This record gives sequence, C-alpha cells and structure tokens, in this order.
Amino acid sequence: MVENENKNVEPEQTPLDKNIKLMSPTQMVIRRFFKSKLSIVGLIMIVSLFLFCFAGPYIYTEWIDDGKVILDESGKVEYAFSETTYTVNGVEYTLRQTTEKELKDNFLSAPDSEHIIGTDEEGYDVLSSLMLGGRISLLVSFLAVFVITILGIIFGGISGYFGGVIDTVIMRVCDVLICLPGIPILLIVSTLLDASELNANYRIYILMAFLAMISWPGTARLVRGQILSLREQEFMVAAEAMGYSTFRKIFKHLMPNVMPQLIVQMSLSLGSMILYEATLSYLNLGVKGDVDAWGSMINIISTNQDVLQNHLYVWVPAGICIVIAVLGFNFVGDGLRDALDPKARR
Amino acid sequence: MLKYIIKRLALALVILLGVSMIIYFLIRLMPVDFIQDKINAMNQGGATVSQETVDAMYEMYGLKDDSFMGILKGYFSWLSSLLHFDLGTSFVYARPVSEVIFEHMGISFAIALIATIFEFLIAIPLGITAATHQYSLRDYVVTVLVMIGISLPSFFFGQVLKSFFSEFLGFPTSGMVDATQSYTGAALLVDYARHMFVPILTIVILSIGARMRMTRTNMLEVLNSDYIRTARAKGLSERVVINKHAFRNTLIPLVTSLAGLLPSLFSGAIITEQVFDLPGIGNIALDAMNRGDIPFIMGYNMFLAVLSVLGILLADIMYAVVDPRVKLE
Repeated sequence: MVENENKNVEPEQTPLDKNIKLMSPTQMVIRRFFKSKLSIVGLIMIVSLFLFCFAGPYIYTEWIDDGKVILDESGKVEYAFSETTYTVNGVEYTLRQTTEKELKDNFLSAPDSEHIIGTDEEGYDVLSSLMLGGRISLLVSFLAVFVITILGIIFGGISGYFGGVIDTVIMRVCDVLICLPGIPILLIVSTLLDASELNANYRIYILMAFLAMISWPGTARLVRGQILSLREQEFMVAAEAMGYSTFRKIFKHLMPNVMPQLIVQMSLSLGSMILYEATLSYLNLGVKGDVDAWGSMINIISTNQDVLQNHLYVWVPAGICIVIAVLGFNFVGDGLRDALDPKARR
Repeated sequence: MLKYIIKRLALALVILLGVSMIIYFLIRLMPVDFIQDKINAMNQGGATVSQETVDAMYEMYGLKDDSFMGILKGYFSWLSSLLHFDLGTSFVYARPVSEVIFEHMGISFAIALIATIFEFLIAIPLGITAATHQYSLRDYVVTVLVMIGISLPSFFFGQVLKSFFSEFLGFPTSGMVDATQSYTGAALLVDYARHMFVPILTIVILSIGARMRMTRTNMLEVLNSDYIRTARAKGLSERVVINKHAFRNTLIPLVTSLAGLLPSLFSGAIITEQVFDLPGIGNIALDAMNRGDIPFIMGYNMFLAVLSVLGILLADIMYAVVDPRVKLE
C-alpha cells in the first residue's frame, strides 16, 4: 500500500509543490483563452456554423441531391378573377372570367412545413442553399487564408532572414502589391475569367486565390518584423554555434516563435476573407455554378425590389450567416491575441 | 526630414510604375470590348458598318494590336501622355478621364469626410470608456457592439438600413437630391442631408469598430505606464489623469492614422455608393468597369494607387511629427 503511494508521487516533490500546479505555456494560453467569455462565444458560433454547413445537409436532405439544391417544381395553381361589364342595346351584361395560371416552380414560398425558411425567387429551398452555399464561403476563405499564410511565411521568412538585396526586392514587391486596389483589380480579373472557358464552379476559388496572391504582403511584413528581432537573440546565436542548417534554424527555431502572431493574424483575416468573398459574390463576380454562395443569395435584392421589401426570408438569413461567421472569427482572433500576449495580466 | 521625404517620393514613383504596369496589362487582357459593343449598337441602329470603319475605330482608340508587343506599346504611349498630365479620354463619357474623376470625387470626399468626423467623434470616447473600465460590463457591451459593426457586410447592412429608414421613417434612399423638386438654398441643403443621412450612418457604423479598438488598445497601454501611476500618486483627480495625461499620448496613433486616412477619403466607397445609387467616384468606376472603358479604369486605378501611396507616406511623416522620439531615416 505504502509502496503504491510512493510510485505515484515523484521523488523530489515536497508538500509545498503539491499546491502549485505546473503549467506549460501552451496550457496557460489555452486557460486564458477559455477564461474569456467572448472567445468561447466566438468558438461556439464557428463550430455551430460548421456543423450547420457540413453536417446539416445530411440531416435536412429533402431538397438536396448530389450536393445541389433541387428545384421545387411542385408549383401552385393561381386563379385570377376578372369582371367586365358590357352594355349591348341597353342591356347590361357582366362577363365573369376565371383565368387559371399554372406556375411551374414553387418560387418565393413563405416559410412553411415544407420549406423551413422558404424558397427563393427561382424556387430553390433557402435553408438548403444556405448550408451548401456556406460550404463554399467557408472553404474558399480558408483556402485564401492558407495561401496568404504560406506565401507570407516564405517571403517574409526569406526577407527577414537573409536581408540585403533579397530583402529590398521582396519588400518593394510588397509595396507595389499593397498599393493595388483590391476590388477594382478583382473586377478586372473576374471578367478575364468570364472569357476563359472555365468550369463556373471553380471560378470563386481562382478569384480568391488571386486575392490571396495580392494580399500576402501584410503577413510577410509581420513575419519579417518578428524574424528581424528574433535573429538578434541569444538562442539564435546558440543555434548558430551548434552549426545547425539554415533550414533547421528557420523552421525549428524561428518559426515557432512567429506562430502566435501568425495564428492571430490568420483568424482575423479569415473574417475579412469571408467578407471579401461575400462582397465579390454580391457584385455577381463570384460563384456562377450550381450553388449560390451567401453573398450571391443577397445579390437578388439589388435588382428585385419585390424580394427586397416583401420576401425578407430570401436574403436576410444569408446576411445573418455572414455576420455570424465573421463575428465568430473576430471574437476568436481577439481572444487568441489576448491569450497569447505574454504581458496579459489575466 | 526633407531628404527622407524626397527619398520616399522617389520610391513612390517606382512603386506606382510597378502598379501601373500590372493594372495596364490586366486591363488590356480584359475581354469586355467597348468598341465591339459600340459596333453592335450601330448595327442594331440599322447602319452597316464596314470593316474599314471597324479598323479605324480600333486604331482611334489605340486598341488595334492585341499582341504582347502591342500592349507594351500601348502602355508606353499611355505613360508618355501621363507625363503630359493627360490620362486619356474616357470612352463612355467622351471627356478627359481626369475631368470625370475630379467631377465625381467631390461627392465621395464629402460623404467620406463627414463619416470620418463622426467616426472619430464617437469612437474615441467609446474607446476611452472601454479602456478605463476594462473587463467591466460597459467594456463588454461596447466591444461586442463595435465588433458586430466590423463584421457586417456593407452591402447587406446598407440595404437593411435603407429599407428600414425608407419604410418607417420616410427617408429618401437613392441619389443625392429629390429629382422631382427643384429646391434652392437652405431647402436644398436639407434635401442633401436627408439623402446623405443613411449612407453616412452605414459607413460610420461599419468603420467605428476599428477606430474604437485602436483607441482602447492604446489607452490601455498608456494607462499601464509609470507616469500615469506618478500622476495618480500626486493625487490628481482621475478625470485629469485620463483626459490630460493619458489621452494625449493616445493621440499619437490616432493622428497618425488620420493622416494616413486623408487621401483615401477621395477614393469612393464602391459598394455603399452602389447600394444607395450615389453618383460618387466608386459607383462611376463600377459602371466604367462593366462597360470596358479602358482609359477610365486605368485612370481610376492609378488614382487609387496614388492615394494609397500618399496615405502611407503621410502616416509615416505624421508619426515623426507628433512623436519627437521617432526619427525618420
């Protein structure tokens, strides 16, 4: 019995140490992160949005087939009544007419048991469109942030580590890219894509990849700045003395120290990429394939006054989804920044 | 200082050269063909257009040669006319590009300027209260509200506000003035204000967050510094400590960012102007882009690039001006 107890207690532990909980830096960051209510709210928002978009279509299957929303062709028959009065030879006749008008697609149907949110102006189920469209919006934004981060790490790392002429050249390229006006350039690129015979489903991916290719300078500057200051520190001198390869020095010793800022930057730029994607789709530059992204679902209001005023269920849900996504990433990014800040008091 | 500014201006020229090259090549690759549209319109009008006329038109607009060398030649001819302060003639408006830009720039600038003034007036006090009451309910409420503002897509929120204000409060929602009335004097001003209210409100709500959070972060940093503790130890009232000692140092980044912001006020808000149908420069540019007006798109994009280069330069210079500890090299 006594032996068993001794096995569990480490030899050097004094009674005092039992009251002190040792925590690794990572544990401390995680603890600080979850202490903030806002970051938990943000995390819940993002997780539920992901479940909604990626698991939702497996639960609400009625209007989804093969990754596409099915057109509701149930239609409805509308009757129009009209009454005309004629006077022939002093006798009054009333002509009552009933016109039967068959609508093929069940469009702009208000929320009911069949369509939980309703159907849009073409007859597609809004809830299903939201789920499938959300997949595109989220995936595309992740892709863009991924590309931005990779390019930022590579160019910022090279620039900061080697300095000299390489640094100057890369930084000037950054200056040029920063001065390119975003939306106008994407408008131009999107007309280029229109001309090429490209699968319309991949359009938005290419557009966002292009956006990523002109937006990496921010991340590159962040990485460069960090590396410039880290390069001068003692642990790098030690790494030098150990004769490590350049590759090892950059990726094993410098990068882990840049990671905290990078993670914060990534989560914040995820939010802005979702906004960017939504804006592009709203301007009708984005997805032109089988599924509408969130921004495209709102696009209808710029041309159709009736939908804008009388059929809120068509476009408001998409807007709310965008807000939830962006807000969630902003909350998490903010929480991470506070948690990763070594000066934080809480 | 002067040497620094000259060096930066020279650098800016190089940057702008790079930007113009990228934009010109992208634009020339664009398939939207203004002349083709024009010929189609002429054909529809019943006129028969001979091949010579078509060629002559392409020649006239300088778009005849679409090979790489042809585009390069086009770029250099654009560049050389730029040196004579000539941005070319807009296809759509048939007037000099610079004239069209200057004409519509004013509206965008007026809207952006008013919005920025309100943005600073609201965001700074909010940031200060949030910082002085850190982690309190007040801090949370303000932070959450402005974060929602940052997260709203402009086209969505603009439409929501537009519908709300027109339906329940009877605000006019598109254009600058009521076209059916011919107001003059004070009445015209009131009409302008009524038209501008909702767009400006939209811009303010969307942009307040960034400024407020900036103020809060800086204020927190300043409040933790030693001289604030000294000021409190001297027995100064909290109001004096905050307003006289802490806030003045918070002004450094605020003034810097304001200087950086100034040029961008001219650039126009494409989406907001489109939603509210304002004849600002952004809306005009969006239209020009859809119609393939190459000289105008080129001129507008370069205009934007110049504005952002100026913004960065102004912010850097202002940084050294307001903070004597910073030395420019």
